[in-house]
Amino acid sequence: MASTSGSSRRNAALRLLKRRLLQAIPLMLGVVVINFVLIHLAPGSFLELMTAENQVSDPATVELLRKTYGLDDPVWLQLVKYIWALMHLDFGFSYRQNMPVLDAIWVGLPATLLLMISSITLAFVIGVAAGVVASAKVRTVWDTAVSVAAMFFFAAPSFWLGIMMIVLFAVKLGWLPVSGMETIGGGGGVLDILHHLILPTLALGLFYAATYARVMRSSMLEVAQLDFVRTARAKGLSRRRVTLSHVLRNALLPVVTILGVQMGTILAGSVVIESVFSWPGVGSLLFDSVSSRNYPVVLGIMVLGSLVVIAANIAVDLIYMWLDPRIEIR
Amino acid sequence: MERFAFLGRFARNRGALAGTVIILLVAFAALSAPVFFPTDPLRMVAQPELWPGEDPAFPLGTDSLGRDMLAMLVHGARATLLIGLFASAVATLIGVSVGAAAGYFGGWIDETAMRAVELFQTIPNLIFVLTIVVILGSTLHNIVIAIGIVSWTPIARMTRAEFLALRDREFVQACRSMGMGDFGIIVREILPNALPPVIVLSSLVVAGAILFESAVSFLGLGDPNIASWGRLVGDGRELIRSSWYICAIPGVAIMVTVLCLNLIGDGLNDALNPKLRDR
Repeated sequence: MASTSGSSRRNAALRLLKRRLLQAIPLMLGVVVINFVLIHLAPGSFLELMTAENQVSDPATVELLRKTYGLDDPVWLQLVKYIWALMHLDFGFSYRQNMPVLDAIWVGLPATLLLMISSITLAFVIGVAAGVVASAKVRTVWDTAVSVAAMFFFAAPSFWLGIMMIVLFAVKLGWLPVSGMETIGGGGGVLDILHHLILPTLALGLFYAATYARVMRSSMLEVAQLDFVRTARAKGLSRRRVTLSHVLRNALLPVVTILGVQMGTILAGSVVIESVFSWPGVGSLLFDSVSSRNYPVVLGIMVLGSLVVIAANIAVDLIYMWLDPRIEIR
Repeated sequence: MERFAFLGRFARNRGALAGTVIILLVAFAALSAPVFFPTDPLRMVAQPELWPGEDPAFPLGTDSLGRDMLAMLVHGARATLLIGLFASAVATLIGVSVGAAAGYFGGWIDETAMRAVELFQTIPNLIFVLTIVVILGSTLHNIVIAIGIVSWTPIARMTRAEFLALRDREFVQACRSMGMGDFGIIVREILPNALPPVIVLSSLVVAGAILFESAVSFLGLGDPNIASWGRLVGDGRELIRSSWYICAIPGVAIMVTVLCLNLIGDGLNDALNPKLRDR
């Protein structure tokens, strides 16, 4: 502990950040290439599809599209040009919204991120708390209750859970709003948004809470058997003190790992939940673009989504390092 | 004897046993659908929005178009189970191939494979599935492939870890010294030993695949010719104020099936690693 003084830990964190950012470059390239190739697998020419399916007949727009995507070039050159443009934060142009792709995504991104962050927070808090309770009261009613609840939420499809909660809490009881992010006319305050956030957060977050509760329980039980815990107990520390300050911190590591791996899944899951609750996030833009084959936007959402996942993973690595200073992350 | 001990341990796990029984019942319902409900389940048979129990001829009621919920549910089981099984098979095939190559050969092959795993964990999976399905068309077979493509990474990691642990063991070295080729060693010697934990994981991937498919169908991007459970939930969505049971029933079916598959997976896992049982 003594050797990891504040400044050396900060240096280690900076080194990790630098390495992670460097690793992110080939990863992003991979994401772009895979999705670009996938989109070019679509039958028919890109421009024909776009213009035919969306009844774009304005010659100026068609010309603009042709120019922006360099559609007369061979595919590999289009890919290189796309990557080059991305490096200048140019995601292309969306003819349906009649604005740059980045602007179109930007409109919904805060709402999606809000839903994602609140769901992760809920999942983490509930999951860790439930796991700790279950492991502290192992083989009691509490433990069983946590296991049963976790089994249930681990198997329920999130969109269905969302609808059922709308039926109960919004339609029958009238406690919470049915959909949207703010009350139409006169809404928009922080409390109003939080009020609308409750159901979507539960629908998306409870599945992950169930995952973390299971992992946390077994991880707590495993760590509790390690030598340093016995030492702490032998030193005369109370059981509660040992659990909270020694076991908990170490038992969190696997939960944090899983959280990092699941980041992409949570982002994708929020798209479904957005559709259930008419949440004004990137989800509706994605459906509109997928069904109208507005590929520049689909590609843009994939690229930005992957960036969010990578950023979240870097954050997770930093948390990991803070939790367990022994670990020099590769 | 080893096999009987395994089955014994599995059967002593009550949850796993109950899960197996229920899954067998669902599978039986799926297989016997054409016998008990020989007509097209998407045909109108009664007055719309009959609540469950209202008419004994339709124990689970009818939907907004007057279609028999029970018939749709039983026929939907076919689609849901088939998609889950085949998508898991695709994921297992990809995952085992990638993981085996990475773990056995190591070096740059391992490096490349692990970067690919990382790549597929970075791409938001369901968004990728939706994109593939829309681009290649909403057919059963494209949905299965799309779900397989986003579900293989845990299997690849597991297979790789098993291969890393096994590749330098004596029996493998013996085969090598006898001049057996790499392919033969991988497929005939290491794979059978590496497979049990991978199969457990595959059973969990079936559950995940069913959830994926239900989300795709719920969003209205499933195969239009198939009434899978997810699509039934999506169809009932507009009527939650008057007839919420139309959404509730197929959702319960998805949940119970996924839950039972998870119980089976856990049971197999415990039976495979008896030492870990009390964790």
